[in-house]
Amino acid sequence: MTDETQFDRIIDRYEKTEESLLAILQDFQREFHYVPEEGIRRLSEMMEVPESKIYAMGTFYKALSLTPRGRHTVRVCTGTACHLKGAPQILETLERELKVKRNGTTTDGEFTLECVNCVGACAMAPVTLIDEEYHGQTRSSKIMDIVKKQVGS
Amino acid sequence: MEKVSVIIDGRAFEAVKDQCVLEVAHENGVYIPSLCYNSEVASSGGSCRVCLVEAHQGGRMRLVTACNYPVRKGLEVKTDTPLVHRIRRGVLELLMARVPDSEVIREMAAAEGLSEVRFRLDEGEDDRFNCIACALCTNVCADVVGVYAIAMVNRGAEKKPATPYYKASDVCIGCGACAYACPTGAIAMEEEDGVRRIWGRDFNMVKCGVCGTPYIPEAQVDWIVKTTGKDRSFFDKCPDHR
Repeated sequence: MTDETQFDRIIDRYEKTEESLLAILQDFQREFHYVPEEGIRRLSEMMEVPESKIYAMGTFYKALSLTPRGRHTVRVCTGTACHLKGAPQILETLERELKVKRNGTTTDGEFTLECVNCVGACAMAPVTLIDEEYHGQTRSSKIMDIVKKQVGS
Repeated sequence: MEKVSVIIDGRAFEAVKDQCVLEVAHENGVYIPSLCYNSEVASSGGSCRVCLVEAHQGGRMRLVTACNYPVRKGLEVKTDTPLVHRIRRGVLELLMARVPDSEVIREMAAAEGLSEVRFRLDEGEDDRFNCIACALCTNVCADVVGVYAIAMVNRGAEKKPATPYYKASDVCIGCGACAYACPTGAIAMEEEDGVRRIWGRDFNMVKCGVCGTPYIPEAQVDWIVKTTGKDRSFFDKCPDHR
């Protein structure tokens, strides 16, 4: 699925300095929806930076995932305001309809479902984020329509 | 080297400017407890918080970690005040909650008159791993040994030293410096029948040509030969029989 040339193509875009590491890992994340083990190994070789250092970075940043994630990420805000306004029901609906547990990825690799604690938009509660888009005042009965409309399936 | 005068617990001592408070104190027989600091490891210190002392300077007082606070002109340090003891008890109580089985920390806590801990680990947290996440082991591996086999992974309460993907590392040389440096003895290193096991990998040991004792991993010999150019035959005998 992924071979070295794919990693090299991304790595070659950057200067060979330690400061480029995070940007490259972010590009891996965008391209493959996670940071693959072979990618870390290749990056370590090319940049002459110890693998342990890059792996540690991969575990440190929330934006990076070391296990495969879905093409789309659905985040349900479960902060206080959203919780009171019905986030648990939205989460349950998504778990049931997408057939995935929270913090899991669907078997077809389409969706990753996550909970987040407050996205700073409590006035719009309950908030659901689909990829980068914010949806406010969502309801469990409408949530699947919103998901389908946005990802176009 | 510029010399400065520093006062520790009311006594004046000569010290090298920018030397850390902890070293000046220990050189002069003033005891300050510490865990994560090792004078041989430049990058160590500042994480366990056990060595907190009062630093009085320019009419102000701050609590600072003695292991990485530089000695300057006009500095007065107090290591034995009620505030220092209170804070240290708090730090040790939290450490004791994190690693309940650690003898070292239990003894340090006992010296501060602390035996009971008010905090408990969450269910499912590993209470047998004695790690306090001070990163001394990874600093040793990177800055002293130079192989970078381990690094601190994860963040927050899950932070701990590990090899990439928790797999047997192919760069590790099995030297055991991490296990030796660890203040709480958290890193498992076992030896049996001329094989050393550390970080999930087995290392064949070189036997001394005279006494037959396995004393150094082959991988470590390879590393020393590669990095220093030392003659391989040097390792035919253990330090006792050279």
